[in-house]
Amino acid sequence: MENRINSTYIKELFSKSSDIVVRPIKINQNNLIIHLFAVDGLINDDLFDQAVLQNLKIDPYLAECKTERQLMDYLLMGGAYHVFTSEETDYNKLIKSVLSGMVALIFDLEEKAVVYDIRKFEKRSIQEPTEENVIKGSKESFVETMRVNTALIRRKIRSEKLVVEKLTAGKLSKTDMSLVYIKDIANPDTVNKIREIISKIDIDNIPTPAFIEEYLIENKASIFPQVMYTQRPDRVSSNLTDGRIALVVDGIPFVYILPCQLPMLMQSPDDYANHFLIGSALRFIRYMALIITLFLPAFYIAATTYQSQMLPVQLSLSIQEAKQNVPFSSATEVLGLLISFEILIEAGLRLPQAVGTAMSILGGLVVGQSAVEANLISPAVVVIVALAGIGGFIMPNQDLSSAVRLIRFILALLAAVGGFFGLVIGLIILLTHLCSLSNYGTAYLSPFVDVEERNIKDTIFRFPVKYFINRPEDVAYKNKIKQGDIKDE
Amino acid sequence: MNRVRVLILFIFLCLLTGCSNDMNRKEIDEINFIHVMGIDYMSDEYILTAVYNTGQGADAESTDTGKEEIGQGRGATPFEAFQNLRLKNKKTVSIANTGYFLIGDRAAKKGIDYCIDFLSRDETVKMESLIFVTKGVQAEDFIRESLDNKQVIHEDLEAIEQKQGELVKRNDNTLVNILNELENNMTCVLIPYLISENNSFLLQGYAVFDKTTLVDYLDMDTSSGVNFIKNIIKAFPIYLDNNVGLSITYSKCNLKSACEGKVIKIKIDLDFETAVKEVNTDKNIFTREELNRLTGMQNEYIIEILKKAVNYSVKNKRDILQISRIIQNRHSKNWKEFEEKWNDTLPEIQYYYEVNSKITKSFILSN
Repeated sequence: MENRINSTYIKELFSKSSDIVVRPIKINQNNLIIHLFAVDGLINDDLFDQAVLQNLKIDPYLAECKTERQLMDYLLMGGAYHVFTSEETDYNKLIKSVLSGMVALIFDLEEKAVVYDIRKFEKRSIQEPTEENVIKGSKESFVETMRVNTALIRRKIRSEKLVVEKLTAGKLSKTDMSLVYIKDIANPDTVNKIREIISKIDIDNIPTPAFIEEYLIENKASIFPQVMYTQRPDRVSSNLTDGRIALVVDGIPFVYILPCQLPMLMQSPDDYANHFLIGSALRFIRYMALIITLFLPAFYIAATTYQSQMLPVQLSLSIQEAKQNVPFSSATEVLGLLISFEILIEAGLRLPQAVGTAMSILGGLVVGQSAVEANLISPAVVVIVALAGIGGFIMPNQDLSSAVRLIRFILALLAAVGGFFGLVIGLIILLTHLCSLSNYGTAYLSPFVDVEERNIKDTIFRFPVKYFINRPEDVAYKNKIKQGDIKDE
Repeated sequence: MNRVRVLILFIFLCLLTGCSNDMNRKEIDEINFIHVMGIDYMSDEYILTAVYNTGQGADAESTDTGKEEIGQGRGATPFEAFQNLRLKNKKTVSIANTGYFLIGDRAAKKGIDYCIDFLSRDETVKMESLIFVTKGVQAEDFIRESLDNKQVIHEDLEAIEQKQGELVKRNDNTLVNILNELENNMTCVLIPYLISENNSFLLQGYAVFDKTTLVDYLDMDTSSGVNFIKNIIKAFPIYLDNNVGLSITYSKCNLKSACEGKVIKIKIDLDFETAVKEVNTDKNIFTREELNRLTGMQNEYIIEILKKAVNYSVKNKRDILQISRIIQNRHSKNWKEFEEKWNDTLPEIQYYYEVNSKITKSFILSN
């Protein structure tokens, strides 16, 4: 009896679950009894009444069905009042379908079921992106429902070459995923690899994005984000046309994009919504901010503790004045303030919004000002840490921002023990690590490290759209030309 | 494998912490940065007078950079005097941020090479720091007088540097430049000299060094002539006797040389442009004839200035115009003949002048 499609067995299996409905339905007067199997709360009630119950009760042709087989055939051949109707013979698939919100009619004698896809559960409507909002551009963002998200992508790319492949992961959660790519542009090896990775995920549940991310990334020890995520369908579509692959996971309101390279994480949708010069300036400022946030605290420690001759005269005098009565070393000041900064951020995130704002004011302004007045820290250090802190939040990708914040600490520590020597050692290790990272066959620092420079046109500076002729060299499989070479008239 | 890497990194970091003592770890507030250093020679010993900020007296809200103090070190050599200065000071002293070195009159006469040798061997010194000579006085007296007059000496010297920048295209009195100049024995090293007047410093002209010792001070016009010939003039005022003032906005000087037998001929080819800055006459000067006349006058004015520099060189047998370098580079075969008796050759050089100019702007809208 086990693992067979049978109402008695299923009823017993879910006997303790009050939300599971398994109830008999008598079809006309033919003594045919089939069983309804559904999850209360996951189905569309109106559609259920209309497409399933009403159909079974008033359709006159059903009276002519003498056997379960005849009844099934009739329903599957157009008798059912619903377009998404299918026969299910596999027990596991049936359980999964019903638990995901479908309705099944169980035919005990046939040991089969007819499944109606009339899912309806509470879901968030499409709203403005919270993290990647733009002034000029689309206001759509992904939601937690996979099918809504794939529909949003499909609306952007109305091509028959867009493939939306369904996958499942999670032994208990059976989380649905969609692998989205454009045939003939995306590399099939990468598609196969991602498919294989997902099929090998041996985990009960995927409650948070990190669970899936950790399986997808190739260099698990690296702190740098190797999977890009976005809330914006337009961003996914543009990456798909570049030859990248998107992974839509049910329950996660953003979409993963693979393979991911560092320059992608520095791009913001705003860059493309503005004039190319404005976009380039914004992009350049972002790269400058990356350098400032990474190196400024370490540079300050090195310059004020070891190589003070590096500073211009007036600056060294100003720093000297500011530090006169402070009892701590520069390294202690900077590291202490960096830690305080992180504590403030964490506290601000955990607290309710209204309290969080008050907390920021109290922590940032009152405590900071008091600490300076009490000569516990010098004003220069406050400026340095504030600049580095704000610079870190300019990164469009929060994962990159977090990585940079941690590396900033390591570099500051190295500068504290070795001055510029330590800082340079840190820089060499960092660059070596970044150069060694590869992501599904592409270099993480691509196109900075590429031999061909034609894809460099969308990195530190955003060139006019007419120059985006080629797809990324090492990402696109074939059909590498993205647009015709537009000539100036 | 990863554990081994982490372990190696950890050991490396631990080892690095031990380096901090050997890497001159010193908090910035534990250092006295010398902004200005005076180098003097008196009674067979060198005296270094260092001006630095103590930081005391500056509060968080003021933009004041604190109180200037003087430290002094004495020794048989400048380096010994510097060590003496270090020993006497409460904090570590550093010349890493010293922007100006003032060489006293006597120290300059003793020899500039003695004064700056120890600087050139310090790895922290700024090679673009400027060197000045204090005319007729000790650098120490110069510094003390300015402090007594409540002057902020490094700010006044900064102002001098800015003024220099407005008049000439480059400062040739940087430490690195003077070290280079000293390597050439044939030419005279020229270092600007300062005088103190009415609570401020004035830059008047060049101190002339024969090989390494101070021998003379050039007046302002002769120094300007040198600047013209060195092609470093950026702006220069011209005062004509009919109450017309002009300012040079562009100048280019080219020295053309020829060796004819034992005769060296140098043609000073100067092109410059001026703008009218002042017209205190009722006469309309903006006519073609009048402008031509003014052009001629300004040419003569500049030729006179050029001649002063040339005459000084000829009369005193000092190569302040760096002619030897031109002959060395352009006429290397002939140079061997002149090399040994170069100073005697200097008066024999024949100079020719070709000065062309034009008045380009009046800055009067109606004209």
